[in-house]
Amino acid sequence: MALNLIITGVGGQGNVLASQVVGKAAVKRGLRVTIGETFGLSQRGGPVMSHIRLSRKRDYGPLIPPNKAHIIIGLEPLETIRVLPEYGNSETTFVVNSWPVYPLNVIADEVEYPDTERIRSILEDAGGKLYWLDATRLAIDLGAPILLNMIMLGTLCALPDFPLQMYDFKDVLVDMFPESRLELNYKALEIGNEFITENEN
Amino acid sequence: MKGISQRSGDIHLLLQGNEAIARGALEAGVVFCAGYPGNPSSEIIETLAEAARDLPIYVEWSVNEKVAVEAATAASFTGCRAIVVMKQNGINVALDFLTNLTLSGTRAGLVLVTCDDPSGISSTNEEDARIFARIIDAPLLEPTTPQEALVMTTWAFELSEKIENIVMIRSVSRLSHTRTRVLINELPSFDPRPHFDTGLSFHTFPVVAKHKMRHEKLDLARVLFEKSSFNHYEGAVRPELLIVSSGCAWTYVTEAVDILELSDRVGTLKLGTTWPLPKGFLKKHLAKCDRVLFVEDVDPFLEDNVKSFGADICMEIGPKEYMGKASGHTPSCGEQTPASILRVLGRLFSVDWQDHAFMDKVSPIVKDIAPPREFGLCPGCPHRGSYYAIKTALAWDDRDGFVSGDIGCYTMGIWPTGFNQVKSVHAMGSGLGLASGYGKLDRFGFHQPVVTVCGDSTFFHAAIPALINAKFNGADVLLLILDNSATAMTGFQPHPGTGKTAMGTKTDPVDMEALCRSLKVDVEVADPYDMLSTAKIIYRNMQQKGPRVLILRRKCALVEGRERGFPYKMRVDQDLCLGEECGCDRYCLRIFRCPGLVWDKHAQKAKIDGVICVGCGICSDICPQRAILREERE
Amino acid sequence: MVSRVLRGRLLLDHIGPTYTEVLKRQMESSASGAQDRLINKVIDKGLCVACGACVGLCPYFHYFDGKVLAMARCSRDTGRCVEICPLIDRGDIALDKMTSDVMNTPEIGPYKKIIMACSLDKEINEKAQYGGVVSSLITYALGKDIIRSAILTDAGDGYAPAGTVARSRSDVIGCAGSRYTASAGLEALNMAIKTGEQKLGIVGLPCQMEALTRMRHMGSDGENRANSIVLKIGLFCTWALDYRSLFADLRNRGLREPILKCDIPPPPAGVFQICTRDGWREFPLNDIRPFIKKGCSLCQDMTAEWSDISVGAIEGIDEWNTVVLRTDLGLRLMEQATEDGVVKVDDLPKKNLMHLAEASFNKKERGRLTRGEIR
Repeated sequence: MALNLIITGVGGQGNVLASQVVGKAAVKRGLRVTIGETFGLSQRGGPVMSHIRLSRKRDYGPLIPPNKAHIIIGLEPLETIRVLPEYGNSETTFVVNSWPVYPLNVIADEVEYPDTERIRSILEDAGGKLYWLDATRLAIDLGAPILLNMIMLGTLCALPDFPLQMYDFKDVLVDMFPESRLELNYKALEIGNEFITENEN
Repeated sequence: MKGISQRSGDIHLLLQGNEAIARGALEAGVVFCAGYPGNPSSEIIETLAEAARDLPIYVEWSVNEKVAVEAATAASFTGCRAIVVMKQNGINVALDFLTNLTLSGTRAGLVLVTCDDPSGISSTNEEDARIFARIIDAPLLEPTTPQEALVMTTWAFELSEKIENIVMIRSVSRLSHTRTRVLINELPSFDPRPHFDTGLSFHTFPVVAKHKMRHEKLDLARVLFEKSSFNHYEGAVRPELLIVSSGCAWTYVTEAVDILELSDRVGTLKLGTTWPLPKGFLKKHLAKCDRVLFVEDVDPFLEDNVKSFGADICMEIGPKEYMGKASGHTPSCGEQTPASILRVLGRLFSVDWQDHAFMDKVSPIVKDIAPPREFGLCPGCPHRGSYYAIKTALAWDDRDGFVSGDIGCYTMGIWPTGFNQVKSVHAMGSGLGLASGYGKLDRFGFHQPVVTVCGDSTFFHAAIPALINAKFNGADVLLLILDNSATAMTGFQPHPGTGKTAMGTKTDPVDMEALCRSLKVDVEVADPYDMLSTAKIIYRNMQQKGPRVLILRRKCALVEGRERGFPYKMRVDQDLCLGEECGCDRYCLRIFRCPGLVWDKHAQKAKIDGVICVGCGICSDICPQRAILREERE
Repeated sequence: MVSRVLRGRLLLDHIGPTYTEVLKRQMESSASGAQDRLINKVIDKGLCVACGACVGLCPYFHYFDGKVLAMARCSRDTGRCVEICPLIDRGDIALDKMTSDVMNTPEIGPYKKIIMACSLDKEINEKAQYGGVVSSLITYALGKDIIRSAILTDAGDGYAPAGTVARSRSDVIGCAGSRYTASAGLEALNMAIKTGEQKLGIVGLPCQMEALTRMRHMGSDGENRANSIVLKIGLFCTWALDYRSLFADLRNRGLREPILKCDIPPPPAGVFQICTRDGWREFPLNDIRPFIKKGCSLCQDMTAEWSDISVGAIEGIDEWNTVVLRTDLGLRLMEQATEDGVVKVDDLPKKNLMHLAEASFNKKERGRLTRGEIR
């Protein structure tokens, strides 16, 4: 059976890059991996969802079947809760950035953005484990909001049962970033990693 | 050399479906590659263009899909392998040439890749390009995974040379954009020696004889297909149900069979060569059971063709119950998904696969509180300024004017992000074609002004004939070229106006203004960030007769952000901001709708979202209180 | 859907509204905000006279090229735009009370004195319509620092005339002359108030004078806004013309813009005169009447009753103006200007006063009847 991972968020949050890092690291480790990406018309601001399927034995299709996600990485709270009924189950682990990216219809006061605490409690009640962190704030403090995706990747390798380690990701980043930016991205990975280990108990 | 252009093989790489197709072409020794950008196909040409840095191949973004096929065909006629790539709509553009090309035949391997977009995730339509294989009598291959896409592409060149005709490969968004571990093979040596053999000729005459030859070529392909490893059967010897499937949907079928534990009750027939049908192979498997279910993306292509063949041989294989789109077992349109397949198989075999307890718990709550995410132009997008100016000019004019739209990021003008200004969108260049028609209706009492928009790339692709038509027939047309110096929607590919080719070489850019002026059409240029001045220019042009062009020029915000960055750090002075008071009513948020401006619940005032805002500064001009401040960035 | 063929024609039975129609209706029925009332009752009915009172208060209304336009939908339940609009009935406010020492006639409204006057300023007389009293008084008030700036109507800069802020004698002279088209002058007032201007004078039409009176009762800041205006000079007006349709027609008659001057000489001339670079041209008044603003037919105020001073022409005496002095301020300003030799005054002939009262009464009656018909 594959390990099914979803990274969901909004265009511009670095979702596609994050899933590529996972994919490349998996290939380096000799794992089978399939990544399906869904994005719409807009370059920025639309929902973006990556399905990542890791396996030691066989290749799986690019879409995870209903309610079969083991881990859901939410770069944005609303987008996380959106995938919950379709892909989550009572054992799904959630790692969620609590910082909202408001849809235009919310900005225009036509619909309401759900209270983030409400989102948190729904995810908590879903049954599995929830890690809730203000990752955009951590990224801003570290230097730039775009580091969000690396912080979230850092959380991933601290999760029990996740087959890739921090050094796998770091190994891949070497080929993807100029040397001048490596250190900052490594730091972001570590921040995410520490968050999980500190909240593990 | 690393990555896609490495010569050595037997290595696993993480490749996207489109990259795998590109690698497959390279492994076949392709030397000429052409295409027109369009989701989900663009990465194939982009990947090949990247490979062209290391390998002696030629890659171009052509002005449109028809020209792309023509250019690639020239390579084939001179003995060089060539590939041409487009999205589903592109085939419509290229079809006139293709119907003739398959009569004349080709020489070196020529492969046409079409990437369909089931569910129209990033398209204006949902179209199944496979039917064109039937129309032009070209063999059709449908890969299921990136790995197969690679191998199939390489083989397609062999096939093309064997039958001396073009071969079609059909991908879908889901496959094109899937990344997976792919085993690559060694590259051949590239040693093209193009020569047009004047002893040969390529034309369609005598037409009927050539048509007959075309059918014979197809029969030849069929013979090869019978033994193709792209087709295979998996499952029980005497299954209760035979599932016939192709493309990406097949991967969902196999997984659904596993999930429902049906592997010893059903048989799965995976077809990779879907036109012409491998009849012998099919017949053998159709004979296995009485119930056949078709699972495929978009149209019932396999379904119709297999049913038709089934009728031909029904005396031998007996009557069948065919299930699929016609019977309503599978959705008649939209993308196939694991859920859609689980649904139909679950129903046919009475297996309950859903986690009802979980669904019942979370579904209603989420449905209740999660609003949809509206389509939006990016922060800093010049189109927001353009549409604001257009909306202002149309409102000032007050004659119920409207916008005839076209294809690109600015298609989003149909939605609130573009202030719902665009009232029609069809094909590339059609906005102006329609407008040239509206522009002749005045004699019947039609006096609504029509403004038409088209992007820079779209202008070159298909709007020029429409502009000439407007000039020729003296139509009252105002064309706004939303020139953001890129084919932005599909990922910033260069076009004739950018001064750069697909391979990155500098080229003399085609001057839009000069082109229009040569038609003696009035041309002006305005800045979409200066919304008020631009609105005045649009208004003034709307009062005039004959065809006019106004170029609204500003670089795509994503490109600008990458290249130079924006000059401002924006701030809302909340002491000045009126919030919901009379005199504002959240104007910047409700009406202007930029994602970088959000509501500060605590202060009940607007504020800048520092993570989203890029600092273009145009919102400062729409605030009635001048409360949105531009501060120079250090 | 039932359809049948009758004598070779396909007849479609009523199939109810289309999907789009249903959506439109839902949007209209939910239109209950303040701005919606203004749009439904005034703008969509074509009754807006383009006084400009609602323009510049918010971004939802623009005045452009002779028209007031709703640019976007506001969602507020209450709004100053409705409160200030002179075309919206407002039974709830008794418009400004008048002091008891004025004559209050049913025809001409409240006044202290009616006279005739003319400017003694040669430059103004050359440019101005009739007696030049308005330009002279404004110039005088600016010079004496009674007002710091004045809201006037410009000649239009490639578009229809619009409101403008005059701060000097040359600004004022540049605006002299009648326009006969509605020009939303109050937009300029609203913008001036927004930038913090005080001690403003304004010249406007009767509808605009009424809007200024409503302004005091408007929203939270009406009082403050009204207090920044110190002098209101109203112009007599029987109707205004719609700029866009008028000039579309005139263009078809071969007229070339820009317009330098317009005139409608007092009866019985019955003509509309217009001066361009090609010289003066004359059109029968009846040809022009179709372009009268529809909303003007509802108006019951010919003599600008809500102003400090109202000024108009005099039948048969071309070089003079009729001047109605309505408030102490108006009276004092006229006296000072006379003393300082800026204008000269004389008694208005009885016959002219009677004509004025009659014309004004007739407009009131017509307005009252039309208002009843339309509402």
